[in-house]
Amino acid sequence: MQTLYLDYSKCIGCGTCESVCKFVHTHPRIIMTRTTDGWWVPLYCQHCQNPKCMKACTNKAIYRDPDTGAVLLKQELCAECPTKNCLMACPYVAMICTGARKAPITKCNLCLDRGGLGPACAPMCPCDALMLVDHEDLDKVKTPEAQKAYELVRQHIICPECPTS
Amino acid sequence: MDFTFLCSGKPEPNGRKVAIIGAGPSGLSATGYLACAGYKVEVYDKLPKPGGLMVFGIPGHRISPENIARGAEKLEKEFGVEFKLRTKICGSEPMHEETGDDMAYTYKSLGGRVEDNDAVLICTGTWKSRRMEVPGHELPGVYSGLEFLFPVRAASYEIANMDVPEIKGKKVVVIGAGFTAVDVVHAALTEGASRVSLVYRRSREEAPCGSMEFNMLEKQGAVCMEHSAPLEIVGTDRVEGVRFAPCVMSEPDEAGKCRLTVQKEESFVMEADIVVTAVGEMGTPPFAHDLGLDNVRKGDVKWLQMTSLDSVFVAGDVLMGPSKIGKAVYSGLKAAKSLDEWLTLKDQGRLDEFQDEVIRREDLR
Repeated sequence: MQTLYLDYSKCIGCGTCESVCKFVHTHPRIIMTRTTDGWWVPLYCQHCQNPKCMKACTNKAIYRDPDTGAVLLKQELCAECPTKNCLMACPYVAMICTGARKAPITKCNLCLDRGGLGPACAPMCPCDALMLVDHEDLDKVKTPEAQKAYELVRQHIICPECPTS
Repeated sequence: MDFTFLCSGKPEPNGRKVAIIGAGPSGLSATGYLACAGYKVEVYDKLPKPGGLMVFGIPGHRISPENIARGAEKLEKEFGVEFKLRTKICGSEPMHEETGDDMAYTYKSLGGRVEDNDAVLICTGTWKSRRMEVPGHELPGVYSGLEFLFPVRAASYEIANMDVPEIKGKKVVVIGAGFTAVDVVHAALTEGASRVSLVYRRSREEAPCGSMEFNMLEKQGAVCMEHSAPLEIVGTDRVEGVRFAPCVMSEPDEAGKCRLTVQKEESFVMEADIVVTAVGEMGTPPFAHDLGLDNVRKGDVKWLQMTSLDSVFVAGDVLMGPSKIGKAVYSGLKAAKSLDEWLTLKDQGRLDEFQDEVIRREDLR
């Protein structure tokens, strides 16, 4: 059960993760976003334990990989979906609209298609802020500073009235 | 930073050799790509360590220099990349004077690199700071952002012939509101300046670094002054202060544009021992004219990111102007891919097939 984890207290918003992802996958799946007070932060798929995108998907195109626990997308099922509800459902803006007919939506797959090399973005992070971790180990890598910074990011991306999962 | 993220270990050599000029983010990313493709790579840099501005410009609390050093070490030890440091590459055109030049011991020619290698990639970045053209800007004690930050960072590598500004107990005025200005304020506070002021002509909401950085600097003890434009730097034989005038933004005109009016009659002098003008950097590409860099920027070239000299490619800030690390990394990776494809097709004698390919400006971004 792995996921990508970004320590927002270490991140300086340089955009290397987005660039590397773009180089490897053409449509970047980790996206640089700027908050209203000028803070550059990447938003990315958290491979949630309880994914909202999976619930919203009417075509059952989003599933969990049994081996790694990554939340993945079946392109053939996705292409036929008329709603694209997942775009709105994900609070982290991690479902990416490509505009292509065959693969209209793309999302982070933890670089499972890179032949065991793992996510490309994490090793290239100049700040050592991005890492591939087990869901169970998340509490070990989360520092109080990281948690504080993450809460700040959340305030920008999630409405205060929204229920937390 | 593991620049060899595209492969799991050193591949079989493919017999080709490339020289990369500049060991910053774009140069090292390209090195990683080419090392993973089996190239023999040598990397030239004028500074004593690889990393470029990631090590010598951006403060260590933002990017740990050890992280960059680890990446370079992996390239060197596991992939056989040769680092030729303290070596500046020059050509027939007169040289620009740039920050960090005095750290180079050896000078080598670009022509020699082109002859000795299958291809050359230029990633020399932006090392010349823009000067603020106000009266008094040449007074001692006035620095550009890079002139101020570089010695503070470089001093840890070489104290002997470094002109490090004495900061402790001094009053520092920083003009500008980009990330360089923020880093200068931070460095000045860390080095024990008695008072650090950040002055910007617009409001913090409009600042390129964002209002959050302003608020954080204030918490750390800096004084932030908005809506003030510098008129002149005052002083007799060294800087004594900066004359500022308040700036007022007009209501939008018919075209919806707001004008900035400087109220000169209400000007005031802010005392300063050190003035840092962090108003941007410029690229100083070696032999910009010979390489036809303007054409590369417009996409008016035979091959993506190749200059008008065959087999010489270009990437990073030197091509696109000062930007973020991410953009430089992307540019480096793309140039490396383009270089590899060009050499492969050249070896197969198939370059002609592609000569009508259109390179769009978007391809560079």
